Amino acid sequence: MATKNYPDPILNEKLRDRYYHRDQSNPEFTKEIEKIAGTMAHMCFQCGTCTAGCPSAPRSSYRIREFMRRAVLGLEDEALTDPDLWFCTTCYSCTDRCPRDLAPTDVIMAMRNLAARRDIVPVNFLKTVQAIYSSGHGVPNNDVNRAAREKLGMTRDPPTTSMYPEYIKGIQKILDHYGLKERADRIIKEREG
Amino acid sequence: MTEMREYAFFLGCIAPNRYPGAESASIITSRRLGIELLPLNGASCCPAPGAFGSIDLNIWYAMAARNLVLAEQMERDIALICNGCYKSIYEVNHKLKHNDELRDGVNEVLKEIDMEFKGSIDVWHLAELLYDENIVGVEKIRESVKVPLTGTKIAVHYGCHLMKPKKERHMGSTEAPRWIEELVEALGAEAVEYRNKMQCCGAGGGVRGYDLPHSLDITNEKLQNMIEVGADAVTEVCPFCQLQFDRGQIEIEEKFGIKYDMPVFHYNELLGLAQGMSPSELGLDLHAISTEPFLKKVL
Repeated sequence: MATKNYPDPILNEKLRDRYYHRDQSNPEFTKEIEKIAGTMAHMCFQCGTCTAGCPSAPRSSYRIREFMRRAVLGLEDEALTDPDLWFCTTCYSCTDRCPRDLAPTDVIMAMRNLAARRDIVPVNFLKTVQAIYSSGHGVPNNDVNRAAREKLGMTRDPPTTSMYPEYIKGIQKILDHYGLKERADRIIKEREG
Repeated sequence: MTEMREYAFFLGCIAPNRYPGAESASIITSRRLGIELLPLNGASCCPAPGAFGSIDLNIWYAMAARNLVLAEQMERDIALICNGCYKSIYEVNHKLKHNDELRDGVNEVLKEIDMEFKGSIDVWHLAELLYDENIVGVEKIRESVKVPLTGTKIAVHYGCHLMKPKKERHMGSTEAPRWIEELVEALGAEAVEYRNKMQCCGAGGGVRGYDLPHSLDITNEKLQNMIEVGADAVTEVCPFCQLQFDRGQIEIEEKFGIKYDMPVFHYNELLGLAQGMSPSELGLDLHAISTEPFLKKVL
């Protein structure tokens, strides 16, 4: 097992602890994960096929099998505070290969959703939200690209929200319904000042 | 003149805003094959399944549903050219069609913007339409070729969300598919097999933004495996993978000191080349990695 080495020494210590402490287990966590992910995580028999085919495993301490175990044991804090949670590229190789027909990728997505509710979410994810809120695009158009499009005989802006900004209001209403932009702004400000 | 099939063309972000040649090539090459890609006015980001899905799946559903409703209003199926968009648009469409509770929840939100998801259209990746012999098919593609890419070796990168997870798709096994290779061979090129072909490019799930060196290390492994079998170029059907392989090579050189100069093409750019479009019409000069060495072999 690769050693965890993160800047926060308390977190490091906690993540290095290989023992199961019953008082850290929340059975509701397992249920919640299963509900969001739509997969029966408790059926996992820890074969490790998921980790074996994971592109992130060979280059980090991220182990999808370990997260599956945390899901089953209800180790909520351990799962949601581990920075490795964000190393899943969502390639779904583990899901396609799982001999129990589970979806470990969706377990990760469920954990990320639950982490985000506690404001544990990397800044780059939130910046995508900001970009979409203001332009409709996660990767917006720019002047270099506008010139390139023109050269290709295309419209300077694609017929998306770029050309029809009047549609952005609808997007903002959806995001505001969930208060997501406000949350993104607040968390980014807390982290980056 | 054969009858044209019309689709609402969902662009996403990276093709129109970073690789416009891929967008343009898709429209022009498809038209020659009986597919008319109509603009889907007011569409937005799909939204990015990694970033959005990770934060809150419900918001991801609602945002993707807005794009779907725009196509429903046009009464056209959606065609798109990006695997990330495919995950959002195809999968959310499928989920909302088959899960009443989910659909009701999404429609509750869409009501605020006078929209309703009805589930009246289907979503397709352009690559699957090209391969489907009832729509286009390999033979018709072969017949459309004017400049065969003979003598070139091309490594196919499938990407992840086109075929995986397989039980939420309809394209069979994801271990060793060969249908995109058939599309490549129809252009006269040789499609080469390489180690761990189905591995991710490394960009997805928000990892490119979260930890760039980690993400590039995955890309680097794929590039090594492609070089190992003598590939002259890599082709993909996802502009995000395209960005990761193309601009990623510049970043790999900066961070790891390894230089590949491996040209990267969206399949529709290759198709455009083979149909006789010029490199400038395809905007190949916008690629970070020069396509010249490949072009010299075929033009």
